[in-house]
Amino acid sequence: MIEVRQLTRRYRDRVAIEDLSFSVREGEILGFLGPNGAGKSTTMKILTGFLPPSAGSVKVGGFDVVTQPMEVKRRIGYLPETPPLYPELTVHGYLKFVAQLKGLPGRGLQAEVERVAGLTGVGHVLARGLQHLSKGYKQRVGIAQALLGSPPVLILDEPTEGLDPTQRAEVRALIKSLAGRHTVILSTHILPEVTMTCEKVLILNQGKKVAYDDLRSLTAAHGHAEHTSLEEVFIKLTAA
Amino acid sequence: MRTALAIARKELTISFTTPWVYVVLAAMAALSSFFFVGLLETFQQVQDLAREQGWERLPPDSVVYRNLTDGVVVQLWGVVLIITLFVAPFLSMRLFAEEKRNKTFELLMTAPVRPLDIVLGKYLGGLGVMGATLGLTLAFPLLLTAFNQGEEGQALEWTTVLLGYGGLLLWGATCMAVGMVLSALTESQMVAAFLTFAVLLPWMLLRGLTRTFEEPLRSVVSYLSFDTQLEGLLQGVVDVRALVFFASVIVFSLLLTHRAVEAQRWM
Repeated sequence: MIEVRQLTRRYRDRVAIEDLSFSVREGEILGFLGPNGAGKSTTMKILTGFLPPSAGSVKVGGFDVVTQPMEVKRRIGYLPETPPLYPELTVHGYLKFVAQLKGLPGRGLQAEVERVAGLTGVGHVLARGLQHLSKGYKQRVGIAQALLGSPPVLILDEPTEGLDPTQRAEVRALIKSLAGRHTVILSTHILPEVTMTCEKVLILNQGKKVAYDDLRSLTAAHGHAEHTSLEEVFIKLTAA
Repeated sequence: MRTALAIARKELTISFTTPWVYVVLAAMAALSSFFFVGLLETFQQVQDLAREQGWERLPPDSVVYRNLTDGVVVQLWGVVLIITLFVAPFLSMRLFAEEKRNKTFELLMTAPVRPLDIVLGKYLGGLGVMGATLGLTLAFPLLLTAFNQGEEGQALEWTTVLLGYGGLLLWGATCMAVGMVLSALTESQMVAAFLTFAVLLPWMLLRGLTRTFEEPLRSVVSYLSFDTQLEGLLQGVVDVRALVFFASVIVFSLLLTHRAVEAQRWM
């Protein structure tokens, strides 16, 4: 579903991502791990067509991000690092606007807004203004926005950021329930989260891929099987 | 086009929930009423003077005060034009700058929307706000007509009034287009507003600069001045050259904005 080949991104003289290659199969959940500034968000911005790559190629559903951006954008639901909300709009007004941006048909738009609001637990605040919501609710509206129109690919940049432990568990359960039907890439620096939701892990450090494997084989390869946690692997790999 | 309209609608909803637009509307209403009253007084004085002494004995430039259309409304349009120049930067500054600061630009750019639709939607939204601001000033000719009921003849030549108003709308649309380009270039609304003002004002006053210039430069620069182009339009003269001039400025600004939005992807 997602094919990334030798992706490189430079900001002037600084290299944000270097020679990154990976692929995600349909229905898989891939966890993006890495310390702050490792290039997780940059990679996601390139996948969604917001930033162009300096070199390399990205294909989503067989379409190239650079040459066929519209086809790619139509297939992706994206939650950026900061949820892209208009403080002046109500939750309902906002979700309706995003649905229109995504070109969802007018009929059934209301039902679709209610569906995603229900999934993310914002159904009871639909009439509230976005600026009056707590951080957790804002984050959930951000996720709801990404889910509109059930795009086959979901790219979620730190989806559980700013949520309390209960909400975090809810969002994790939600993401897990999306597996199979959606291909998901999510980034986080909360390690247990990856263990709980993802099948595959990609660890980035200073723009380079340091590990890319099944969760189980990763922990097995770096210690004595069950006794090694992902945390130990992570610290070991990103220590350099 | 459907998405462009959705963006325009969102733009209007947000504009009318923020205090900014109301401040601008209030400023427009207050300033234009102030000048309207002043113009009416002058009109009254000149008319009184003419009744005593006869029009022949007044200075020749007082001839515009012979009727309300030229003596009050056309003059008022000239004032509104200047007010528009000052308030337009505050209306156009948020168009793109705020999206960037809010990080909502990322939403627009990762949705399956063509940059052209984004630009058109934003511009239409901007025109709506500008239209509302200028719409307030239509109250003055309406007032004049309302109070003239019963007396013989029409108080105003509505064709002239409306053509002049059309010129005003075209000018508002031009200010918004120029402001939008500059808003697309920066993240800061203050910078956008300041730059817009810094472009519009000298452009308006270009003709004044030409006194020291040699021909043919003088004619060219004076032709490019907003002031020159607006002169006839406000008096209700339909000058195709002026229409083409403003249409070109608007189209060119939209193209530049489109470029700026596209370039965002290549930075």
